[in-house]
Amino acid sequence: MTLTDRSKADYLKRYEPDDDGLRFQPLLYQGNYHGMDPIPDGILGDKIIRSRMKSGVIEKVSHAEVLNDQFTLDELNDLNNYLAWNIWDVLVMRATEGVSGMIPRQEYEILSFMNEFYRYPEFMRMVTDSIGAQGVIDIGESARREVGTKINCVHDWCLGAVAFGMGRCGLLAGEWIKPDEYVEESNIILKFMQRVLWGKRKDGLILNSQDRYRCQIHDDDIIADLRTQIVDFEPGSEEQHIFEQFNATAELLAFFDHYDCRLGLGDTGPYPLPDGRILIVRDLFVNEEVFHWSDVCEELPHCYTLLVVVDPAVVGLEEIRVNDISTTFTLPKNYVPAITGGAVLVREKWDTPMGEVYPVKLHDLEPHLERIREATFKMYKKTAAMSRHTLCLNGIYSYYIEMILPHLRRAGMYDEVCAKKDFWEIDQRVMNYYYEITKRNFVQVTVPMKIFSGAGYLPFSDEADLRASKYFWG
Amino acid sequence: MTVLAEGYNVFDTGKQPSGTIKYLGAPKDVIALIQSGKLKEHILLVRGGTTTFLAPALSMGAIGVVTMSGAPESHLGILSREFQTPCVMTVHLVEGSGSRYVPGETADSHFEEIIEALDGKQVTLDCSDHDKGRVLLSE
Repeated sequence: MTLTDRSKADYLKRYEPDDDGLRFQPLLYQGNYHGMDPIPDGILGDKIIRSRMKSGVIEKVSHAEVLNDQFTLDELNDLNNYLAWNIWDVLVMRATEGVSGMIPRQEYEILSFMNEFYRYPEFMRMVTDSIGAQGVIDIGESARREVGTKINCVHDWCLGAVAFGMGRCGLLAGEWIKPDEYVEESNIILKFMQRVLWGKRKDGLILNSQDRYRCQIHDDDIIADLRTQIVDFEPGSEEQHIFEQFNATAELLAFFDHYDCRLGLGDTGPYPLPDGRILIVRDLFVNEEVFHWSDVCEELPHCYTLLVVVDPAVVGLEEIRVNDISTTFTLPKNYVPAITGGAVLVREKWDTPMGEVYPVKLHDLEPHLERIREATFKMYKKTAAMSRHTLCLNGIYSYYIEMILPHLRRAGMYDEVCAKKDFWEIDQRVMNYYYEITKRNFVQVTVPMKIFSGAGYLPFSDEADLRASKYFWG
Repeated sequence: MTVLAEGYNVFDTGKQPSGTIKYLGAPKDVIALIQSGKLKEHILLVRGGTTTFLAPALSMGAIGVVTMSGAPESHLGILSREFQTPCVMTVHLVEGSGSRYVPGETADSHFEEIIEALDGKQVTLDCSDHDKGRVLLSE
C-alpha cells in the first residue's frame, strides 16, 4: 500500500465538516426529547443533540468559563442531556450482554454508580479547595505528556457520566432522590469532570464525541518519540501474530483485573502518521496494586502501552472511533488484520517517571505472555471461589475507588482522602440498597432500561435551586 | 450444510473453526475443560456476553465461541475480535420455538432450548458475513 492509497481512504471523509459519519448500530435515542425526532449514534447524533442545547456548554468553552465554579441551570441540564446520549451511544449495545456467570456486574455497577453520586462531591470539593480549579485542570493536562496513565478518557468521563449521570439516574429510578435535589452536589461533580477533560484536550472541548471521535491529546514531540519505537511488519507475518496475541491476552487481563470493565483499557488517537497510516496508543493496565485481588498479578507491571499502527488501506477503513470510554471501534469492524506496525512499552508502577518507561522487543514478549496467562488463570480460580457478596463489594471498589483514584493520586491526596474521608467506606444507604436492587427486577430490567435508553436522566426543573443540597458537609 | 443457529457476527473472517459444541454453565466447567487439555476440540457455548467467564479459555486458545446474549460491542465481542477468535453472539435457533433473546425479559426456557439443540453437536462456524454469523451442522 502507498501513501496515495491511504490518502484516498474513506475514513478521512469523516473529518469533513459536512460529513455525518456512519451508523454503527440500528437503534435510536429518545431521552428527554419527547415529541422530537429520535437521535442516532455517532457524528450525526452529536450534531443533532448539540443543536438542541440551550447553552454553549457543549461547544468550545474558554479557560475563564472552566475556572468559573458555577454552572447555570441550563448548562447543568445540557450536560445531563448530552452525557445521557453519550452514555447511550457508547453502551447501548453492550447492555445486551446479559449475565456474567461469574461476576454480578449489573448489581455492583448500579451500587457503585449511586455510591459515587453520594460520596464523590466531598472528595472533589476537598481536592479543589486544596489545589484550586487550575490544579484540577492541570490533572487533566498531565495526560498529554504521559503514557500508561489512568488520567484518560474513560476515567475522566466516569467522573461525570457515571458519578453524576448514571448515579443520579439510578437513585431517581429507585425513587431514593428527587430530580431537584442534590443540585449543588451535581454542580461540583460536573465542574470537576469538565476541568479535568478540558485540561486534557486543550481544544475547548471535553468529549471525543464532540470531535468526531478523536482523542488526539498527545503533544507532537511525544508522538514523535513514540514513533521511534515502532516496528513495521507485514499482514499475516509472525510478528503481526505475536503482536496480535499479546494485545489480546494483556487486554483480557486488564479487563479482568478491573472486574470485567473497561477501566483497564485506555486508547488515544487516532494519530495520523506521515506515511498515511494511523496510530492508536493503547494502555493496558494489568496490575492495579490498590486492589487486593491483584496479588496474582504481582509479577506484572502496572501497564503495558501498545503502539498500534493501522493501515487504513488494508481493510478499506470507513470510520474509526476512539470513544469516550477509551475503546476503539471501526467500520469494517475487524481492524486487526490491518495492524502493520507496533511496539510494546512497559511502565512498572503508576508513578514511574516517563524517562524510565522501557520497550520490550516483539520477540522478547513470550515470557511476558506466559506470566499474563498464568495471572489470568490464577485470577479466575480465585474469583470463582468468592461469594456473591464479596464479588459485589470488590466490584463496587473496582468502580467507586478506581474511577477517581488516578485524580486523587495526581493531586497527591489519596492518603489524605483515605484518612480524613474514609474513602474505602460505602455509604450506608447504598449498602442497604444491596438488599433492595434484586427485587422487582430493579437491577435486571428497570436500571438498564432507564440508564441505557436515556429515559431515566430526568432534568432539573425550572424551579430547581442551584443551592439545593442534601449533603452533610462534615 | 444445515444451519442450526444464527446470531450477530462479531467480525468478518475467513476462519471456519470446527469442533464439538460444549456448553459451559459455570466457572468449574471452564476450569475442567482447560485442565482436560481438550480446549481446542470444542466450540464453546455460553449464556452471557461478558468476558470474565471465558477469560482463561480465550487466553489459552479457544477456537470459536457462541453466546446466547450480547453484541459485538460487548466485552466478549471486543476481546474475541482482538484474539481473532470467531464468535457468534445472541444466537437463536433456525428451527424451534422461534424464541428470541430480549435483555432482562428472557425466560430460562429460551436458553435451555438452545443448549439442548446445540450441546454436543459437531459444528462449523461461518463468520464470513458482515452482520450475521452462522452455526452449521458438520456433515
